[in-house]
Amino acid sequence: MKQSFIHKLANFSFMIPYLTLFFVFLIGPLIFGLGLSFFRWEMLSPAPPKFIGLGNYQEALIDPYARKALWATARYVVMAVPVKISIALLLAVLINTLTDSHQNFYRAAFFMPAMITISVGGILWRWFYNNEFGLFNTYLSKFFGIKIPWITDPDWAMKSIVFMTMWWSIGGAVIILMAGLKQIPKRYYEAASIDGASEFEQFINITLPLLKPILLLVVVLNIIGAFQVFGQTFMITRGGPEYSTRVMVHYIYDTAFHYYRMGYGSAMSWILFIIIAIFSTLQFRLSRGKKQNA
Amino acid sequence: MKRSIIAKIIGAIIIVLVAIIIIQKWTYNEFSGRTTIRFWNGFTGPDGRTMIQLVKRFNAENPKYHVLMQRMDWSTYYNKLFIAGMGDRAPHVFIIHTDALERFVGADFVRPLDDLTSSANGVDVSDIDKNVWEATERDGKHYGLPLDIHLLGMFYNRELFIKAGIVDDQGNPAPPTTQEEFLDAAKKLTKDTDGDGKNDQWGYVFTNFIQNIYTVMNQYGGTFFANDYTESTINNQANIDALQFCIDLINKYKVAPTPEDIDSWIGFLQGKVGMVFAGIFMLSDLSRQQNLDFGAAPIPLLGTQNAVWAGSHNLCLRSNLSDDELEGSWRFIKFLSENSLDWAEGGQVPIRKSLRNTDRFRNMTAQSEFGKQIPYAIYMPPVGFGTEFAREYNFAIEKALRGRTTPKDALDMADKNIEKVIKHYLENYKKYR
Repeated sequence: MKQSFIHKLANFSFMIPYLTLFFVFLIGPLIFGLGLSFFRWEMLSPAPPKFIGLGNYQEALIDPYARKALWATARYVVMAVPVKISIALLLAVLINTLTDSHQNFYRAAFFMPAMITISVGGILWRWFYNNEFGLFNTYLSKFFGIKIPWITDPDWAMKSIVFMTMWWSIGGAVIILMAGLKQIPKRYYEAASIDGASEFEQFINITLPLLKPILLLVVVLNIIGAFQVFGQTFMITRGGPEYSTRVMVHYIYDTAFHYYRMGYGSAMSWILFIIIAIFSTLQFRLSRGKKQNA
Repeated sequence: MKRSIIAKIIGAIIIVLVAIIIIQKWTYNEFSGRTTIRFWNGFTGPDGRTMIQLVKRFNAENPKYHVLMQRMDWSTYYNKLFIAGMGDRAPHVFIIHTDALERFVGADFVRPLDDLTSSANGVDVSDIDKNVWEATERDGKHYGLPLDIHLLGMFYNRELFIKAGIVDDQGNPAPPTTQEEFLDAAKKLTKDTDGDGKNDQWGYVFTNFIQNIYTVMNQYGGTFFANDYTESTINNQANIDALQFCIDLINKYKVAPTPEDIDSWIGFLQGKVGMVFAGIFMLSDLSRQQNLDFGAAPIPLLGTQNAVWAGSHNLCLRSNLSDDELEGSWRFIKFLSENSLDWAEGGQVPIRKSLRNTDRFRNMTAQSEFGKQIPYAIYMPPVGFGTEFAREYNFAIEKALRGRTTPKDALDMADKNIEKVIKHYLENYKKYR
C-alpha cells in the first residue's frame, strides 16, 4: 500500500514539468481570458477595467463586424471542409492503388506545399490572384479571353481562399487517410471481388465503413482548423474585399491588438471556443450513436 | 573505439563552452561602464540597414553610451511597445508615426520634448517645417522630434511617357501638373498593346486606397471632423465629389483598372502602368527593379487646392528616464536628426530645411521632387481612434471604388459608423484625460 503510494507519487513527479507548463501557459491564460471577457478593458485607456457582466457577449451579438466575421467563418467552414475531405479521400484511394514507389512520390508531392509557411505561400498566391497583373488572369485572358475577380469581388474572394487552402493543406489529410487505408486487410477486397462486387461497391461497403474512425478524426480536426482559419485570409486578402473574408480569428486579432479592446476580444474568443466545442461534441455524439446502432 | 568518440565529444563541448565564456567576457568588458540606450523601431526593410549604420556610428563616436537597437514589423512593434509602455518597461527611445501619436500620448508614457529642444543642447525647431513640427503637438507640448516625412508623390514610367508623346520641348517626359493634363496623359497611356480588344497598359492605378483617396479628398477641400474631432463630417459634398472623380477614372475615363489596393503596385513594377501615386518609401523597391526607367514628380493638382497625404517617423522618449539615460537618449535623438540626410538616402525626406538645402539632397532626385510638397502635406487626422477611423474609411471607399455603392451612400455609411467610434472613444478615453 505504502509502496504503491510512493510509486504513484514518483509517477506524478515525472508529470510535474509538463503540468507546470500546461497550467501556466494554457489553463492559466484560458481562465484569465474568461475572466477578462466579463470586463470592459480598453488597454490604452487610463480608465480601470470595469466589470460589465455579459456586456461584451451582448455587444458581439449586435456588432455588425462580428456578425460579418462569423458569416465569413461559416462560409469558409462549409466550403473548405467537405471539398477538402472529398478530394483528399479521392486522392488517397487513387494513390493507394499505385505501387509503393509511386505512392511515396505522390505522397511527398501532395505534402510538399504544407512545408511552405503561410506567409510565403500567401504572398505567392496574392500575386497569382492579382486581377490585372497576376499569373492566373494573364493566362486566362490570353487563352480564354476572360478574367476572374479572384480576390477583388466579395463573392469570389472566399472561394479563392478555399482553393489556395486545398493546394496548401490537402497533403496532410491525404497522408492520414492513406494510413487508414493501409490498415484495411486486403483479403476483404479479394473476397468481395470473388463475390463479384464492383470497385465502387467495394469502396462503399468496405473502404468507407472501415475508414470511418480515421475519417471522423480528419473531419473533426479539419472543422476545428477551419473555424480557426487566419493565415490564409490574413496574408492573401487581409480580410477584404469589404471585410468579406475577415474571419472570426482575424477580427479577434484586430479587436485585441489593433483596437486594444481586450475584454471584447476575449469574449469573442470564448464565443468561438463554444461554437467549436459544440460542433466537435455533436460530431462525436453522432458518430457514437451510429456505431451503437450498427 | 567508443571511448575515444565520447572523449572527443566531451572535448568539443568543453571547447565550445570556453569559447562562449570568453566571448561573453569580452562583450561585457567592451560595454561595461557604458550607459545602455534601448532603441526600438519597425525599420525591418532596407531602411533598417541604414539605421544600423547610423547606430554604429553613434556608438563609435559616443564611448559613454551604447545604443541597442531592436527592430520588428510595425504591427508587432506597436503591440509590444504599448504593452512595454503600460508596464513601465518601454525602451528609452522609440519611433511613433504621427498618426499614432495621439493614442500613445493618451497612454501616458511618452515624454514631452520641449524642455530638451529649447535647452542649451537643443534643436533649432525653426529649421523644421511648421506643419510637420505642429503635428507632434498635443495640448501645447511636443511629444516627438520628427526624423523624416514620407509623402505621397507620383512615380511615372519615363519610357511609356516618351512612347505616348507626353514630352516637353527637349523630348523629356513631361509629368502632368493639373487635372486636365493628368487625364490627357492617362488617356494616352492607356492602351491595348496586344490587340485583343482589352486594355493591358494603364494610365494610372490606385495603390493604397487611403493614401490615394485622402489626397484627392483634401485637394477637393474635403473635411473629416468638426468640433475638436468629436463630430464626423466625412460625408461632405467635397469628399463625395472627390470620390466620384476617382470612380470616374475607372468607369467614365477608363484609364484605371479595377482597384486592388497596394497589390496594383506590381503593375507599375512590370512596366504596364504609366502613373502611380505612392509613398516615397517605395523608392527602394523601385530601385531594385531592373529595366524600369522611372521618374518622380509632385502629385498633380486634381482638385481645387494642393494637398498630399504624408506621415512622419517621430523620435520619442519614455517618460521616466534617469538623468544619465535622458542625456544619452537625447544625444542619440539629436544625432539622428542631424544626420537624417544619410537616413534620406534609403527613401525618406528629411524635415530639416537646412539639410534639404544641400547639393547632396538635391541630387536625390525622387526625394527632392517629393519634398517640394512639404508645405501642403496633410497627416491623417490626429485622433486616438485612428485605426478604427481607417477601418471605416477604407471600407467605404473600397465599396464605392468597386462600384458596389454610390459615393454618397458609402460616405453616409462611413459617417454613421465613425460617429459610433467617436462615441465609444469619448466614453472610454476622453473623459479620463
